[in-house]
Amino acid sequence: MVLEKEIPVFVDWIGGASLDWVIAVAIFAVVAMAVSLLFAIVTRGPIRGVAGVGKAFLATFADVFTMSPRRIAALVWLAVKEAIRKKVVVGVAVFVVVLMLAGWFLDPSSTNPGRLYLSFVMTATSYLVLLLALFLSVFSLPGDMKSKTLHTVVTKPVRHSEIVLGRIIGFTLVCTVLLAIMGVLSYFFVVRGLYHEHTLTAADLAPAGGEASAGEAEVPLVGMTSKEHGHRHEVYVDPSGATRTRYENGHTHAVTIEGSGDQVRYRVGKPEGVLVARVPIHGKLRFRDIKGIDKEQGINVGDEWFYRSYIQGGTDAAAIWTFTDLKESDFPGDRIPLEMTLGVFRTHKGEITREVMGGLALRNPDTGLTVEIEIFESKEFITQKLWIPKQIVKYSNRQMIVQKYETPGGVKTKPTEADLDDSLAKKTEFDLFKDLVTPDGRVEVWLQCLEPGQHFGAAQPDLYLRAGDASVVWNFVKGYYGIWLQVVIVTSFGVMFSTFLSGAVAMVATIGILIAGFFTDHLMELGVGPKYGGGPLESFRRLIGQDNVMTDLPAGLGTDLVKMGDQLLQPTLRIMSAILPPFDEFGCANFVANGFNIPADFVLTRTFTALAFFIPLFVIGYLFLRNREVAR
Amino acid sequence: MQSEVIIETRSLTKVYRDFWGRQKVQALKALDLEIRRGEIFGLLGPNGSGKTTTMKLLLGLLFPTSGKALLFGRDATDVSKNERIGYLPEESYLYRFLNAEETLDFYGRLFNMSPKVRRQRVAHLINLVGLDLAKRRQLKEYSKGMTRRIGLAQALINDPELILLDEPTSGLDPIGTRNMKDLILDLRDQGKTIVMCSHLLADVQDVCDRIGILYQGELQELGRVDSLLEIQDVTEFRASGLSKEAEAEIRQVVEKHQGKLLGIGHPTSTLEELFLNIIAESEAHPGRRVRSGEGAGDGS
Ligand SMILES: Nc1ncnc2c1ncn2[C@@H]1O[C@H](COP(=O)(O)OP(=O)(O)OP(=O)(O)O)[C@@H](O)[C@H]1O
Ligand SMILES: [Mg+2]
Repeated sequence: MVLEKEIPVFVDWIGGASLDWVIAVAIFAVVAMAVSLLFAIVTRGPIRGVAGVGKAFLATFADVFTMSPRRIAALVWLAVKEAIRKKVVVGVAVFVVVLMLAGWFLDPSSTNPGRLYLSFVMTATSYLVLLLALFLSVFSLPGDMKSKTLHTVVTKPVRHSEIVLGRIIGFTLVCTVLLAIMGVLSYFFVVRGLYHEHTLTAADLAPAGGEASAGEAEVPLVGMTSKEHGHRHEVYVDPSGATRTRYENGHTHAVTIEGSGDQVRYRVGKPEGVLVARVPIHGKLRFRDIKGIDKEQGINVGDEWFYRSYIQGGTDAAAIWTFTDLKESDFPGDRIPLEMTLGVFRTHKGEITREVMGGLALRNPDTGLTVEIEIFESKEFITQKLWIPKQIVKYSNRQMIVQKYETPGGVKTKPTEADLDDSLAKKTEFDLFKDLVTPDGRVEVWLQCLEPGQHFGAAQPDLYLRAGDASVVWNFVKGYYGIWLQVVIVTSFGVMFSTFLSGAVAMVATIGILIAGFFTDHLMELGVGPKYGGGPLESFRRLIGQDNVMTDLPAGLGTDLVKMGDQLLQPTLRIMSAILPPFDEFGCANFVANGFNIPADFVLTRTFTALAFFIPLFVIGYLFLRNREVAR
Repeated sequence: MQSEVIIETRSLTKVYRDFWGRQKVQALKALDLEIRRGEIFGLLGPNGSGKTTTMKLLLGLLFPTSGKALLFGRDATDVSKNERIGYLPEESYLYRFLNAEETLDFYGRLFNMSPKVRRQRVAHLINLVGLDLAKRRQLKEYSKGMTRRIGLAQALINDPELILLDEPTSGLDPIGTRNMKDLILDLRDQGKTIVMCSHLLADVQDVCDRIGILYQGELQELGRVDSLLEIQDVTEFRASGLSKEAEAEIRQVVEKHQGKLLGIGHPTSTLEELFLNIIAESEAHPGRRVRSGEGAGDGS
C-alpha cells in the first residue's frame, strides 16, 4: 500500500497541532474583531461603534454558552424531518442500484478482488453520502429564509447558535443513518461478491512425485481444485490426512476429508483471508549508496513520482529499515512474517524469463553482525511474504558490516572498526532475538539487489513485519468512520456558507472548498516553491517566455513585479493550504481496500482535525446568522 | 396610575437598500411610539405604508437604519425578550411538512418547555383555535383560514405578555373573525398587551384602544379610538318619552320640561371615514402631520 505521508503519532502530534490551531483561530478572531470594529466606527461613530461591538462580543459568549439541549434537540428533529421530507432515502435506493450494476462489472477473478470490491463500495458510499450532506446542508437555511419559516423560529427564544448547531447535528445524523445502512449493505455485497467454493474430487488428486508403486498408501497426493472466479488452488494431501491449500488471489480454503478409501469426499471450505486487516510494524527507512555510505535517499531512476527511491544492483547500495521496540513476546510462533512490495527498474533486459534477484539480510545495529537470510526473486508490485525464523540455521551469508555515515568531520563508522568482534560471525547458528536484535529491541533489515544493472525501488511502508491481524469488521467500521468525519466537515461548511449565501452559491462555495481540500498538498508545494525557477508567477513567466529555469530573468520592472507577486502569493498559498480541510488525508479506503488495519493514531488525529474544523465553522456560521437581517 | 411601558420606539427609521447599498425605499421615518401594558394598539395604513416593517423592527427581524426599538426595556435584537412575546406573521410561515400538533410541540420546545407542560398547552391551544379535527393533518393540506388559526395558536404557545399580530383577521370566516376579536379582548382582560395591524377598519374599531395611522412610513395620527372618532363641534342628544310635537321644541323641552335625558355627547364618525380623510389629507399635503385628535389619552 502506498502511504505518501507518515501517520503522526497522536500524542506527539496533538500538542503542536492544538497550538497551531489556537494561533490560527486567534489570528482569525483578531482580524474579524478589527474589521468589525473598523466597520462599526465608520458606520456608527467611534463611541457607539466600540460600544456596539463590545456588546455584540459579550452577547456572542452569552449565546454560545446559554444553549439549551432541548432547543437544540428540537432543531435537530426539525432538520431530520426536513431531510425525510426531501426523500433522502432515495439515496439508499440509488446506492442499491449502483451495487447491483457493480455486480456486473466488478470482476471477482482479478488478482486482488478484495481490493477491487472494497475500494469500489467505499468510494461509491463516500461520494453518495457526501453529496447528500452537501445538498441537505446547503439548501436548508436559505430555503427557510425564502419561505420565511425562519421568521417564526427566530422570534422564539432560540439562539442563533442553536439554529446553526441544530442543522449541523441534524444533517450529520441523517447522513450517519444512511452511512450505516450503506455500510451494512456494502459489507454483505463484498462478502457475497467474493464468496466462492471450489470442488475437489478424488480424481483431481494424484500421488506427488509422479508414479507411486502399487500398494504404497503412504504417499502424499497433489492436485488442483475446480476453477472458480478465474483461479484454481493446488491442494496437498498428506498421508496423515492433513491438507494444505495454496494461496491464490490472496486467499486460501480449508479442505476437509470425509470418509476413506473409495468413499472419500473432499470438502473445500469458504475462502479465507480474502478480507484482512493486517497490523504492520513499520521500520524507519534509510539508504546506502554504492560506496556503502548512508544516505537519506536512494537514486532516482527518472520517475516523476518521488515516492520510491532506487538502489543499484550488484553494489553496496541497500535499502535499510530499522525496526525498534521489538519484543519476542509480541511474536508468537517460531517465525516472524515479513511482507514487502517492491518496485523493479531494469536498465537491460537481463534474463527476461527470470525475475531480478534480491537479497534480504538482518543486521544487529550495535555489533554489526549481518546474516543474509533469504535470496528471492522479486515480483514487481506484488506483495511478497517471507519468514524470518527465530532460530536461523539456514542462511546464505554472514559477515560483519559497519554503518558508514557522513559528518562534517568526514565519514565515520558505527561501530568503529576497532569495536568489531569478528568472532560473532563465526557462529553457525543464530538466535534472532539474542544475536540480531539489540537488547532494546532494534534490528535492521537490509534489502539489496543482486544483479548488476538492475534496480530495486522502495519506500518506507513497502516492507513491514506483520505482527498480527485485527478484526476485519472493525476495520471496515473504522473506514466508514473516516467517511463520517468527512460528512461532518462538509455539513459544517455547507451550513456555515448557507448562513450568508443563497443555496446555489453556498453549494458552489462548499464544492470549491472540497476540491481545494483535496489539493492542499499541491497548494503547499506551490506556496513553498521549488528550488529553481521561482514561485508560481515566475515559473509561469518562464513558461511563456520559454526561459531556462536556471538562468536569471532579465532585470527590469516586469521581473520585479513577478517576483513581488510571488512574495505575496506564496505565503497566501501556504496559509490557504494550512487552513483548508485536508480531505485527501481522511480517506480510509486505501487502508481497508489494501487489507491494512487503520491505526489508532490515524483515527485520533483525523477525529481531532475534523473537530478543529467543526468548531470555528460553527462559530462563524453563528456570527453570520446573528448579524444578518433574517427578514430581508 | 400610568402602567408600565412595554414597547418604546425612538425615531425608529428603516431604509431598505439593495445589495450595493443604494437606497431603495424609506419604509419607516422616525417613528416615536409608546405602548403600555394592557393596551390593544392598532397600526393602520394603506398597503406598503410600513406596518409590517415596524413589526419586524420590533421583533429584531430587521435592524433599524437609525433610532431604537425597545421591548420590555431591552433592545429589539435581544433574544431573551422573545420569551415574553408571541408573533403572528402576515402569512403563517410554518413548516408545511409538520402537522398541527408537531408544529405546536416544536415551538413549545423552542421555549424550553417540559414535555408535560407542552402537552397541556398544545391540547389547550388546538382546542382554542378550533382545529381539533385537523390536528393530525400536515399543514400543507390546510386552508388559508386554518393556517391562520394554527399560526395564532403558535403565537400563544408561551402564554406571552406581548402579542404582535400582523393582520390577524385576514383569511378568517365571519365566525373566525368574531372569535379572533373576542380572543383579543379576552387576552387584554388577562392583562396582555396587543399590537395588531390591519386594513379591516371595522375590526380595529371594535377592539383597539388606541391606534396609529401610518402613511408612507410616517405616523399621521395617534390617539384613543373613542376620542379620535368624536366630532368635537357637534353635540348629540338622545332622549325618549317625548311626543312628536315636542321634537321641534327639543331644546326648550329639555331645559323646561325636565325630560328624561339619556345621553349627551358628540356623534362619532366611522373609523373608515377618519382613515380615508387622513389619507386624503396626507396626499394633499405631503409631509405635514395631521394629528387632529392628539392629546386625549395618548399617554405621552
Ligand atoms: N425586503 C424588502 N426590500 C425592499 N423593500 C421592502 C422590503 N420589504 C418591504 N419593503 C418596502 O417597504 C415599504 C413598507 O412595506 P411593509 O411591508 O412594511 O408595508 P405594510 O404596511 O405592511 O403593507 P401591507 O398592508 O401591504 O402589508 C413598501 O414600500 C415595501 O415595498
Ligand atoms: Mg404588511
